[in-house]
Amino acid sequence: MFKQTKWMTVALILSLAVVTAACGNNNNSSSNGGNTASNGGSSESGSDKKVTINFMHLWPEGVSAGQNKIVNQIIDDYQKEHPNVTVKQEVLDNEQYKNKLKVLSASNQLPDVGVTWAAGFLKPYVDGNLFTPVDDLLSGELNGKFVAGTTEAYAIEDKTYALPLEFNIAPIYYNKEIFKKYNLEIPTTYDQFKTVVKTLSDNGVAPIALGNKDRWTGSLWYMYLADRIAGQETVANAITGKAKFTDPGLQQAATEVQSLVDANAFVKGFNGLSNEEAKSEFTNGNAAMYLMGTWDLPNFTTNEDIPQSFRDNVGFFKFPTVEGGKGNADSWVGGPGVGLFVSENSKVKDEAKAFVQYFVTKWGEKSVTGAGVIPATKIDTSTLELPQLYIDLFNELNKASSITLFADVQLPANAAETHLNMIQSLFGKAVKPDKFAAEQDAAIAKGN
Amino acid sequence: MDKVLSNKKVIALYILPSLLLILAIVYIPIVLTGYYGLNEWNGIGAMKWVGLDNYATLIKDEDFWKSAGHSLLLAVFSMVSLIVYLVVAMVLAAKIKGANLFRKIYLIPMLLSSVAIAQLWLKIYHPTNGIMNSLLESLGVANPPAWLAETDLVLFALFIPILWQYAGFYILIYYAALKNIPSSLEEAAKIDGANSFQIAWRIKFPLVMEVVKVTIVLAVVGSLKYFDLIYVMTDGGPNGSSEVMASYMYHKAFKAYDFGYGSAIGFFLLLICLIATYIIRKATASKDTIQYS
Amino acid sequence: MSSTTMKLGGEAKSGSRIGMKVGYAVLYIVLIAVAVFQVYPLVWLMFFSLKNNQEVFNLSPFALPSPPHWENYSKVWSAGNIDTYFLNSVWITVAATVLTIVFGSLVTFAITRMKWKLSSLVLGLFMVAMMIPVHSTLIPLFSMFNKVHLIDNPLSLILSYVAFNMPITIMILLGFYYALPKEVEEAAVIDGASIHTVFFRIIFPMTSSVLATTGIINMIYNWNEFIFVNTFISSDKFKTLTVGVQNFIGQYTTDWGAIGATLMISILPILITFLFLSDRIVEGIAAGSVKG
Repeated sequence: MFKQTKWMTVALILSLAVVTAACGNNNNSSSNGGNTASNGGSSESGSDKKVTINFMHLWPEGVSAGQNKIVNQIIDDYQKEHPNVTVKQEVLDNEQYKNKLKVLSASNQLPDVGVTWAAGFLKPYVDGNLFTPVDDLLSGELNGKFVAGTTEAYAIEDKTYALPLEFNIAPIYYNKEIFKKYNLEIPTTYDQFKTVVKTLSDNGVAPIALGNKDRWTGSLWYMYLADRIAGQETVANAITGKAKFTDPGLQQAATEVQSLVDANAFVKGFNGLSNEEAKSEFTNGNAAMYLMGTWDLPNFTTNEDIPQSFRDNVGFFKFPTVEGGKGNADSWVGGPGVGLFVSENSKVKDEAKAFVQYFVTKWGEKSVTGAGVIPATKIDTSTLELPQLYIDLFNELNKASSITLFADVQLPANAAETHLNMIQSLFGKAVKPDKFAAEQDAAIAKGN
Repeated sequence: MDKVLSNKKVIALYILPSLLLILAIVYIPIVLTGYYGLNEWNGIGAMKWVGLDNYATLIKDEDFWKSAGHSLLLAVFSMVSLIVYLVVAMVLAAKIKGANLFRKIYLIPMLLSSVAIAQLWLKIYHPTNGIMNSLLESLGVANPPAWLAETDLVLFALFIPILWQYAGFYILIYYAALKNIPSSLEEAAKIDGANSFQIAWRIKFPLVMEVVKVTIVLAVVGSLKYFDLIYVMTDGGPNGSSEVMASYMYHKAFKAYDFGYGSAIGFFLLLICLIATYIIRKATASKDTIQYS
Repeated sequence: MSSTTMKLGGEAKSGSRIGMKVGYAVLYIVLIAVAVFQVYPLVWLMFFSLKNNQEVFNLSPFALPSPPHWENYSKVWSAGNIDTYFLNSVWITVAATVLTIVFGSLVTFAITRMKWKLSSLVLGLFMVAMMIPVHSTLIPLFSMFNKVHLIDNPLSLILSYVAFNMPITIMILLGFYYALPKEVEEAAVIDGASIHTVFFRIIFPMTSSVLATTGIINMIYNWNEFIFVNTFISSDKFKTLTVGVQNFIGQYTTDWGAIGATLMISILPILITFLFLSDRIVEGIAAGSVKG
């Protein structure tokens, strides 16, 4: 039915069309510069003009009830105090949110206010001039309100482009009951830790729950080992490209990861499990330990779906130190989670900034008690009724000697993908530590 | 007679609305994808014209070819499964008791969204308390594999739900095609003494041949650009051992912010589909089409 | 399945009678086993929708939790907007499906039954259109709809659904149209019928079984689609049921039981429509009253 010539014609039309599009697109890319932006702005800015602020976030009412309620409360209050302002929300789930943000940016249609992640995620948007600096807010009313080191993660070349809402560190949670059953002590050194792993494994208990399908989960383990062996500075430098992953300490960390795998430290099939599946191995008492951010604290304290008997038995310890290593136990992997940006092309930029300032302040007051989220703004824990686990971790936060940002957050997108893929390969023993190092160095050197 | 059937105005009236819609909604993105593929672009900032650089990289990109190999393998499996689907459809279309009920039941899984199917199969493949491994363990298998974590098994473990997901789709099409055959043909053949196998092979098969040809194209193109379950169940892992072209493209464009390169992959994928379709149409071309008579 | 199991009718000859019976028994055992396997997903989904997260991951997929968490359903209903989503799903799915089938049939008819030079080229154009991965289309389509102010407008969804499902619909119709005897419209044309009459009065009704088939396929695709909805629609008042699932996917946790309940609710209408349409398939060409 198809003659060859017809197919040639199809191909020809396609290629012609490519050329036409090429010409066409040049035109509109110049018009793009002329700010077609923001679907929201219903008016020119002025003190009492009616304005609509479009706000896109990722806390759906269904599952993030706590956060969603706080957001709505804040918006209600804000609209009451500013009758001329309407805040219009759009809620998407994490994954869809990230995709949509990307599609919106390509057409220069970002919402006035939205949620962003730090460092590597933020950079292309800043480079593309889509986020506006919020330094004026930081030096204004919000001066000194943030925990030191949190806003820096959103800074690029001395300007800050978003205000953080969360602040997390990652301890190792453990099941006290299992530890008691096998007479295990909290390990403070890595050798002790390996003994714990061996005892559990010998007794048929999965030592560590890990869902490495998600890859960043395995990255946490590597980051900590790297920090404890090579020291915080070396890790930080390797990520920024100032040092190399081929550093002997960093390579040793990779070797240690593989020997943990060999020692059956992680649950069966960890490279095919999602973090959520792995978490359930921990919460159902099949696995004894779980390295995860403080965002999971509600699951171990207040979440009624999880049996009280389990929640009462969750403790945490700091990642153990490695003998002869350069890192110390008070050095953490963690960092701010999401923050709020204001779109550079927003027609209601001033109002949006004012709203963000208000939001960040109120969020700081409500997020721990309302949603179990540790905010990036300073809070006075003594006045709050909190579960002991929270209080202990707040104390650790205050003692922290350094906090290394999650590698996949800090790295630029492309390098982050390489890092994550290499992590999965390292855990799956598909690469040797030297290749693991070389590939990451190469990706970081490319700088994108 | 020919005059009526070659009336230009009528042809235009029947074709143009759909054609224009396709050109606007599908071809503009195709063309733009081709264009983005010639640029270095993170999807956000300014584009930088790089000509065929992305394609030069693509040709040498081992990860891409690995994923292309996986996609091709899926295409082959899908093609082979068509035989099974056709046989099932023939059984369901036969005049056996309860065929109507069986047909309805057999097609139920195709109603489920990918989200549901992925969750179901994740539960089946779970390494410790999944259905598959519980079954194997009760049969005395000491250490059953962690299906989705084993680099040499994961791809095949994923093919099963994918083929299963689409079974209903093809069975439905074949079933409709078989039901479309006038029953007079079958009766005539029976009177001539043909047995069921002969009826199936000599009469029914040729009459649904055109439909089969079409489904081969659909199966191959569908497999080559397949994305859904792979993305949800393994995200292409571990170590890229279940990555297919569409998921690789997605990772490059949406995760690594390399939209130029991702578009090049997307466009290349289209070319591969085009070539595959061309080959299939050549291979299955017949001089005259058989019609019911 | 061997050729013996394919034997039809009950009037077997005496010699192979036992063989026949065994064959039938085997056939039915296989058929029932497969049927159980095919129905299981629905039962599983039902159980799944009555569990909380802890039970979703820890209980056997065969197990019904005790007590069942019916509150998952009330959670889904009270989460707001579900009725709006539902109505949107219905009318968008129906509109897109009907448009696709009618326009797809017109195109297929013109390509297969009418005589003109460019027909195979045009068919080629339609076929190429199903070869683009959906994620490649998002950014271009968004910017296009944005330029014509169709963002956050259900029309953008309907146009996209029709355009993206048209090629596959045409492909399926194609196989059926080729098999239709040419004499059908020749006779009609000689009798003086206009081309529109030939199509709408003769061919279109004759293809009812394949129309039901493509109807089912289109309906399933449109009903379950969510990438375009998320990308093109921002107001709650235009979103569809697939968004309801997202309501339960959080930043760090996902409420699987509630997702199960949403999926269960959203599969019911499609299941009913399917059962209805699937009976239409049986009335094929025979019902279309064609000469022998």
